[in-house]
Amino acid sequence: MADILNIGKSGLMASKKSLETTGHNIANSNTEGYSRQRVMQTTNPPIVKYGNIEGTGTRIRSIERVHDENIEKRLNKTITDNANYKETAEQLGQVEDIYNEIENDGLNKVLNKFYNSFRELANQPENETIRSVVRDQASLVVKDFKRINGTLEQLSIGIDNRIKAQIVDVNQLTRSIADLNKKIAYLEAVGDQTGDLRDERDARVRDLSENFKVNTYVDGKGSFNVSAVGIGTLVSGGYHQELVASPVGKAESSNRMAGSIEIYLKDKPGRAITEKFTGGKLDALVTVRNDSINKLRTNTDTIAHEFIQTVNAVHRRGYVSRPIQADAEGIMPLYDDKGPVTGIDFFRTPASVEGAAANIMLSDEVRSDLSNIATALKPNSAGDNRVAVAISKLQHERVMAGGTATLEESYLQTIGNIGLETNKARIDAEQSQGILAQIKGVKERVSGVSIDEETANMVRYQHAYEASAKVMQAADEMFSTVLNIKR
Amino acid sequence: MTRVSENSQTHALQFALNKAKRKLEDLQIQGSTLKKMTKPSDDPVGNIEVLTLSSRTSDNQQYMRNIQYATMNLNIVEQSLDQLTEVMNKAKELAIQQASDFYDPEIRAGVATEVKQLRNHAMSVANKRVGQKYIFAGYNTLQQPFNQDGTYNGDKGHITLEVSKDFFIPINLHGEEVFYVNDDTSAASPHPLNRFKDMKSSPNHNVQEGDETLDQVDLEEKGRDLASVQEKGEFKQRTNIFSVLDSLVAAMENNDTDLIQDLLPRIDKIASRLITLRAKIGSVTNSIESARNNLEVEDISAMERKSTIADADIAKLFSDIQREQAILQTTYKSGQNLINTTLLDFLR
Repeated sequence: MADILNIGKSGLMASKKSLETTGHNIANSNTEGYSRQRVMQTTNPPIVKYGNIEGTGTRIRSIERVHDENIEKRLNKTITDNANYKETAEQLGQVEDIYNEIENDGLNKVLNKFYNSFRELANQPENETIRSVVRDQASLVVKDFKRINGTLEQLSIGIDNRIKAQIVDVNQLTRSIADLNKKIAYLEAVGDQTGDLRDERDARVRDLSENFKVNTYVDGKGSFNVSAVGIGTLVSGGYHQELVASPVGKAESSNRMAGSIEIYLKDKPGRAITEKFTGGKLDALVTVRNDSINKLRTNTDTIAHEFIQTVNAVHRRGYVSRPIQADAEGIMPLYDDKGPVTGIDFFRTPASVEGAAANIMLSDEVRSDLSNIATALKPNSAGDNRVAVAISKLQHERVMAGGTATLEESYLQTIGNIGLETNKARIDAEQSQGILAQIKGVKERVSGVSIDEETANMVRYQHAYEASAKVMQAADEMFSTVLNIKR
Repeated sequence: MTRVSENSQTHALQFALNKAKRKLEDLQIQGSTLKKMTKPSDDPVGNIEVLTLSSRTSDNQQYMRNIQYATMNLNIVEQSLDQLTEVMNKAKELAIQQASDFYDPEIRAGVATEVKQLRNHAMSVANKRVGQKYIFAGYNTLQQPFNQDGTYNGDKGHITLEVSKDFFIPINLHGEEVFYVNDDTSAASPHPLNRFKDMKSSPNHNVQEGDETLDQVDLEEKGRDLASVQEKGEFKQRTNIFSVLDSLVAAMENNDTDLIQDLLPRIDKIASRLITLRAKIGSVTNSIESARNNLEVEDISAMERKSTIADADIAKLFSDIQREQAILQTTYKSGQNLINTTLLDFLR
């Protein structure tokens, strides 16, 4: 009869534990990354009595979390891809804003106005007002080259800051994964359940996956390892490797900008691993910074350089618009009291292609005196507009890309490329967003809590509890019956 | 059977809502800007085309201004030529009258003052200014081109303007070809980029030194060295409009009918040259007119193309908005039933 009590008690305990687990599941139904837990119930080992095999009730073998490692890995990979595309799209979206000329004037319109101002000046080279319009337009071109170059550098610096913040994040994550590894190893050694801690570790790995492609595996000694693809192991059991982000000089930087951030392993400070990350935010940030923005900066410099050189080459051949006195032999002087009369640069000649856009400015001559804007090919010819016409015709000269494209074509190609790149990144991001939602759905379908299911279970366990109690009550009554026999 | 959990339900719902809302937002932006594109990546290829078209339109606007300016200049030149023709006709009339022995010397001397007046008129035309610019001075537009004795201080510059892409037209005649006998009969005006050999739009691109075309350019340049022309060109000087009128005055004052007779063919020659020049101006004006028409047509088609690429199709836009709104409503409705009910509602 004591068996009945025991069996009843084991059922009571099991139902109580099951209800607890149901409660835990419901309580955590909205916890990010929570995997529902399941009670693994089994019969107590039977005993043989009088030749019969008798059951001894039930017991809870373990509480397991419902979890599929393959889904988890797929989810991590999707998170990596999605973070990569999203970051790329976001950064490139900012880059393309620089080249957005749909609503306002950009370099293309400003350059066009510059050439057309020379066309206008060719109409009336004698007109001082138009000269000052030309100079104003040229200043706008200067300003816009600087704007593009400056904004590109700003974006580059912005990305540097993002990288720094991400690295801090990554270090925190790897440290906490290492800590969790230690805790899990300890608890499992003493036989405790670690479902919740494993969920937490999975969540950390997921967070880490946003930054780069993560590979996880359990090594021969049973310790959990996390490695960044392309970099190496970052967490091994209770140990973790920190990353360091520090600014470097122009020569060491991977995007030829002074003070830009490079990433190192803490143990190997000599070797930059900035460009080694695969997938995720870090790869997106570094790629946009080192490829897209860097290329655009070079491109802007080339355009600025070619623009300055071509305008200067033509402008130098012209004569100033003020009267020049020939000397006694009828030879034109090269200088008068206002400076040189021909061979004048319109823009200051840049020292090199690199930095041409950053350092573009009007030459001192043009800035100081409007008559130094040369329109005439012949001295003392106020009406001679041939230099002005020639400068305006530079608009249609194929000077870029080995003489195959005009400045405008070359610049528009740049805009086209950045537009296509951004467009592709955005489509990729959208698609991967869909895939991510799908795989998250798959994971939640397996691991997520269903209130309906838990409710049904709750009813079930409650009934089992009640019935088990009834069994004990029955045993109690049986005891009473037996005890009352003597009375 | 696939298991469904609370979170998978809400994820699915959130995703669907987000998608519908984003589409609606895109459409609403289109609706408020009435543009299909707000950033280059919306239509990378279209964006480039729009920018190219904008450049072309703004070039065309400038060409249009150039056309207006050129037309104004050519009209003034034309008017001046008209006045000169009148002067020469009047001179010819007087010369024919006075070439016969019908009039006596006193009357001829009187007529001579009339011819002097004609010469003054011609001189005022020769030194005509528009604004501060002398129109018959070649490139040297700020210096008075003709001295009182009829010597020319200007040069042989032809000012050219671009009135549509790569189409240059001359907008002036220089004093020498109008007032002096023009031995250079070629009607072609020099290309303004002649001297810019390294530019590809220059007609002399890649022309080597010593080449024929280039020699011509150099010749023309040398021809502008007017001092030598005037010294050697005694004959020319006597056959310019002023010297012919001067001779006519002298002949009348001296009562030299033979000389007056001699002068008649020269006056005729000048008059016919003026007519040739007017014809030349007229043909330039005509070509400007056709350039203007081309620009207008090009502008309209550019606008049209731009609008097709960049502007939102309003009818389509509104039907799209309506459709997306319907989708969003349906998503809300289905979500309402999905997330608001659980088994608990039925376990009372």
